[in-house]
Amino acid sequence: MPARKDRKTSKQAKEKSESLVVSRRAFLGVTAAAGVAIAAGHAIKRPSIASALAPQEPTEGVVTEKWVVTSCLNCPTRCATKVRVVNGRAVRIAENQLSKVSEGKLCPRSHVGLQVLYDPDRAKSPLKRTNPQKGKDVDPGWVPVSWDEALGEINRRLQGLRDRDEAHKLAVFCGLNSISNDDLIRRFAGAYGTPNIVTDDSLGNEAEKSGQWMADGNYVHSAYDLERTNYILSFGASVVESQKPLARNLRMWGKIRRERPNRAKVVVIDPRYSVTAAKADLWIPIKPGTDGALALAMANVIISEELYDANFVNNWTSGFDQYKELVLSQYAPERMAEITGVSADVIRRIAAEFAQTKPAIAWRGRGATCWPDGSYASFAIFCLNALVGSIDVPGGVIYQEYPSYREMPAIAEDRIAKAGKAKPSLGSNREGRVPVAGVSANQVADSILKGNPYPVEVAIGYNSNFNMLAPGSGRWDEAMAKLPFYVHVAPSITEMATFADIVLPACTFLEEWGYDHCPPGSGFAEMKIKQPAVERLYDSLSIADIIFGLAKRLGGAVAQSFDGTGDDAEGFVRYRTGTVMPWDEFRGQGVWVGAKYEFYKYDRVFKTPSKKFEFYSANMEAVLRSSDSTSCLPHYKEAKFLGDEKTYPLMLSTYAPLLDIENGNQNYPWAQEIYMVLHGQGWSNFVEMNSETAHGLGIKDGDMVWVESSFGKVKGKARVFQGIHPGVVAIANGQGHWACGRWAKGMGINPNSILGVDYDRLSGQSTFFNTRVKVYKA
Amino acid sequence: MARWGMVIDLDKCTGCQACTIACKEENNVPFGSPYENIRRLAPYWNKVIAASEGEYPSLNIEMIPMPCMHCDNPPCVQVCPAKATYLREDGIVVQNFRRCIGCKYCIAACPYGVRNHNYKEQEEHPYNRPDSPPDRSVIGPWPFPHRTHGVVEKCTFCFHRIDEGIKEGKRIGIDVVPACVEACPTEARVFGDLKDPNSHVSRLLATRGSFVLREKMGTRPKVHYLHK
Amino acid sequence: MSSEFVPIEGKSRGYWFAVAVVAAVLLFGFICFGVSYVEGHQLFGGSNVIPWGMPIVLAIYFIGLSAGSLILSSLTYVFGKVEYKPIARMAVFLAIVLIFGAMISIAVDLGRPEKFWRLFMFFYLNNMTSMFAINGILYGGYFVISILYFGVILAQQQMLTRIMGIIAVCWAVLVHMGTGAIFGFVEAREAWFSPIKPLEFLSAALTSGMALLIVVTIATFKLSGRDIKKEIISSLARMLVVFIIILFVLIAVDKLTHLYAPARGAALYMLAGPYSWIFWFLQIGLVVVIPLVILCNPRWRNSIGAIVLASLSVVIGVFFERYYLVIPCAAYPMAFYPGKVEGVYGAVGYFPLSIAEFGLSIGIFAMLALMFILGLRYLDTLPPVEAKEPATASLEGPAAASEQTSVA
Repeated sequence: MPARKDRKTSKQAKEKSESLVVSRRAFLGVTAAAGVAIAAGHAIKRPSIASALAPQEPTEGVVTEKWVVTSCLNCPTRCATKVRVVNGRAVRIAENQLSKVSEGKLCPRSHVGLQVLYDPDRAKSPLKRTNPQKGKDVDPGWVPVSWDEALGEINRRLQGLRDRDEAHKLAVFCGLNSISNDDLIRRFAGAYGTPNIVTDDSLGNEAEKSGQWMADGNYVHSAYDLERTNYILSFGASVVESQKPLARNLRMWGKIRRERPNRAKVVVIDPRYSVTAAKADLWIPIKPGTDGALALAMANVIISEELYDANFVNNWTSGFDQYKELVLSQYAPERMAEITGVSADVIRRIAAEFAQTKPAIAWRGRGATCWPDGSYASFAIFCLNALVGSIDVPGGVIYQEYPSYREMPAIAEDRIAKAGKAKPSLGSNREGRVPVAGVSANQVADSILKGNPYPVEVAIGYNSNFNMLAPGSGRWDEAMAKLPFYVHVAPSITEMATFADIVLPACTFLEEWGYDHCPPGSGFAEMKIKQPAVERLYDSLSIADIIFGLAKRLGGAVAQSFDGTGDDAEGFVRYRTGTVMPWDEFRGQGVWVGAKYEFYKYDRVFKTPSKKFEFYSANMEAVLRSSDSTSCLPHYKEAKFLGDEKTYPLMLSTYAPLLDIENGNQNYPWAQEIYMVLHGQGWSNFVEMNSETAHGLGIKDGDMVWVESSFGKVKGKARVFQGIHPGVVAIANGQGHWACGRWAKGMGINPNSILGVDYDRLSGQSTFFNTRVKVYKA
Repeated sequence: MARWGMVIDLDKCTGCQACTIACKEENNVPFGSPYENIRRLAPYWNKVIAASEGEYPSLNIEMIPMPCMHCDNPPCVQVCPAKATYLREDGIVVQNFRRCIGCKYCIAACPYGVRNHNYKEQEEHPYNRPDSPPDRSVIGPWPFPHRTHGVVEKCTFCFHRIDEGIKEGKRIGIDVVPACVEACPTEARVFGDLKDPNSHVSRLLATRGSFVLREKMGTRPKVHYLHK
Repeated sequence: MSSEFVPIEGKSRGYWFAVAVVAAVLLFGFICFGVSYVEGHQLFGGSNVIPWGMPIVLAIYFIGLSAGSLILSSLTYVFGKVEYKPIARMAVFLAIVLIFGAMISIAVDLGRPEKFWRLFMFFYLNNMTSMFAINGILYGGYFVISILYFGVILAQQQMLTRIMGIIAVCWAVLVHMGTGAIFGFVEAREAWFSPIKPLEFLSAALTSGMALLIVVTIATFKLSGRDIKKEIISSLARMLVVFIIILFVLIAVDKLTHLYAPARGAALYMLAGPYSWIFWFLQIGLVVVIPLVILCNPRWRNSIGAIVLASLSVVIGVFFERYYLVIPCAAYPMAFYPGKVEGVYGAVGYFPLSIAEFGLSIGIFAMLALMFILGLRYLDTLPPVEAKEPATASLEGPAAASEQTSVA
């Protein structure tokens, strides 16, 4: 053994060297660990939502505050609002108590207006396309350009068309615009010389209108005096979820259910347990497409038991005898029970109740009318109102009054314009169609694709988005890709905008001038102002100013047509509303309320040859050249479905939840995060199916499933739900975007992409509910 | 001293959720993402739940708005260690961000799930309100401070409106109401002084059958519901 | 005689390697904490449904271990059972380290950790009806008392040791019953609400503390080349069996009570719900079944290896018992209204595992391990090594261990 001392020193030395070695090792180890940890730190950190708007500069609190009266445009109701603007930024949207349509109340969508205004994915300047390829997943290669350049290019194209005498080859697509912008758009189209104004109203609202037209000659949405009614029989109309004017419906709901001595009874007939069905007194699930049959069965009961309003029927209707004969002979409740799936007992009971509770209204919605024979279903249901005398009475069907705007001078129609408008319009397969119906929107896609009756050269879209909203939306992708030159005018880049050659950033409704009035519903007229609550964001211009600019550049008769109408947006609004209300008053109050609604105008409201309500439609007889009497009477024909029953056993139904913002965009988190109230979830939509059906297919709640029609398929999450007819699959609209912005893109599925294309015979609107599908696990 | 309460008429309520959105708008409450929606990380001062019973075709779904119940016997106040939440004299259960340490005991103890923890900074969201001093953790006087992450927040019955309204001599419950009550289009929500026998809330409770949620918990909430 | 207890030498490569590894993990945990402090608790798995996550699980776990460990040290210093003296100091030190870890865990779980001092403003800024506030007094006091206790042990003051021991034990009982009360007194969470929770926690503390003590004793003594008498371990194991049985009885009574009541939804969820496998396999299996099978078997019950296995099983199992209580039991959806609440408001909560939370948790474990290892080196916690040569202070114990160590 070494000497103790040596051992100690060598031990010490060994310790020292060991400790040095260890400490170096420890140092390296710790450094390595730190490096790993820092890298891990980056992995741990979850990327936060990018803030596109610059962070707020620290302020000393409120420097300026003002309230601006304006109105909303997140749906066609156009409610009057007041906006609180602090330090130049809109912070709150509140009610305008002076508005009487909804007694000032607002629906949730109006508050989402703040997110429409401050949408970080808005177009910030005019954009020009650099990638000549157009397609769904194709990057347009947007390049910002100046307004001058953009408008100049557009002017060149428009001028070119007119020079070649081809003014009709301009198509104008209209989405949800203010009435004032709508007026300007139509005036421009008229002065320019094109008959092709394609509105999204004509996608799905025409059958309802033509049903009423056949009965009383008014091609309008039906309006109902909700405030005073005692019975609502809803055929597929979700009164408190999607029917317009929604805010009025919501306020009146509260009133008629709990604020009067008489509580109104509500019965909802719908294959789907909608929000309205959840609040109603009775939900009657019905086989889709048979609402007309049910209405006629009820008419059968009412007539056979002599419960109809004999006074009204005898004095103010015509064709009752033919109607009575048809109804009594062919529409017995027992037979209709088989067809509709509603038992004869229920039919008899509800019909009797409906007839004996006065006043009562039969309200038809898209679920009843968006079918190949939807106009007749609409007619059949509308006739129930007449049977019980609910026409132009308190609590019944009413006829909307409108503000009498100042009449604009006649447009200066030059030869080119006259020639253009004389040409047939697009989508003009009008065989058997009522002439008063407008251009059938969904047919326009086929027109463009086939070049029939002529190819479209230039198109301008104002807030339109048919690539999402139209059935068979894939065709629109093809059609838009085919268009040589498309200009999209809207605040954001929606699906349709991705096919544009030029995007013009329009103002949102909180930044522009305009006038609006309430859609049918209130009866009395109400006009609301739109005035800028904040300075225009980014490099945007209002649609009115864009149109004035284009008109000026075109010069000639087009520019002339806009002379003397105000010269710019504010001027135009002031000009048009001058006859209704003094400008300063209008700007200060924001609302003009018309005279109280006058009922019992039987001498004036019927625009029919007999000047009465017609069960046998003479208007229709004049259109048809044959004397097939059934075609002039309300009747039911079994709907033809797209897709055979064997392969596709279920029927696809779509609906619009309340938070579906109807401007074509859904890039709004407040609306997205609480989208489906009945299902307690947001940010998506579901494939809703009946629990028995799902069980039979081996599908559990939450499974991913394919929904396939003969036109395409989509994959979504299944929602096994008790509130739906066993043969029906329901998918909510408003999701499935592939453009628009970070909060809409990639969320949910778009049912319109797998719907087949079919049309209502009489009005040319698209059908939405007659596509068959099959569902299977993904 | 008043005792503020709310009455929600479940018959009139149509589940439109205007109250939820208006509350977020008024109080600068951040919105969430799809992931946060599923995980329930996003704060909701007012939420609307749907409770279903029955089978096709005899199904019933109730839509029930749930703000903070402002209980008279609040379990959250009982368990907060830092006195960050306390019951004010007028019955409002207040949340003080400065004192809150984020221990989340109140979230565990609330039987109604109306309390929310801030899981991330508010400024991560593009929409925020400028009419507030941007300094963090403001005590008491509102409005709408930026809350740091880590503190708990909940419905306050818009006490900033009420306090301001009282100062200006306005009638609370008639001229001045919380944002959700103001926004409700069917007028299903009513706010007022439960101790005042002439207030709208008292009269409603006297004439209609009412109930509170989870009554067995003994929290004595001041948000009452009227039967359908 | 201070030579009765010595620190470990702490010079071997094994020792430094352990320190380095543990320090690295601690650094990682620290970084995780730093990132979460800046980014917020969005990085963790908690939500408004499941408010508490891993840090609180760790907190109650450590408190239990600490209280158990301290109570078991009382066997020597209060009840005078000298045969446990070799491990008693280590037990007290372990208790201090663990309670420190528990307090750090709680501080880390706070949304605003920099405001942790508000938990200690007793009666002044605190609402004393809150179990959190009461526990602030209990934990803070416990920390101070256990340090004082350890101090008088190190100073070898027998009389003071006895007094402090009694105080410490009583306080430890209160501490862990208080922790149980945090959960048991919350009526809103049906899976938590129970008067038995404080007792259940106390018995879990004793069980897990005893098991941890066995494991740490064997590990420390073996790794530092010390001998431990088999009888000590066997008698500890026998006590462990009793504790396990008591714990099982309390759990069973609690669950049965809730099952008998008509409102048994929460109990069914706990016993047969989607996460009940954690209860049956990880809690009952690891805490009750496996240890009892091992320790009641006449052949195994005296084998050190088997005892260590059983104890390890208990230590891990009690962790899962805490985990199950804090996370799956909080995920049970509250019944706001009769019927089925649709969507996210009626769904069982979801708690994803996240890197930040995991890193934080293992960082806290690492911190405790580091403190313990460093404490062994610098404090007189262990009995001296029986072997003769310092050079043989290695992983193997000396071949011929001496029989008895004298007691001070």
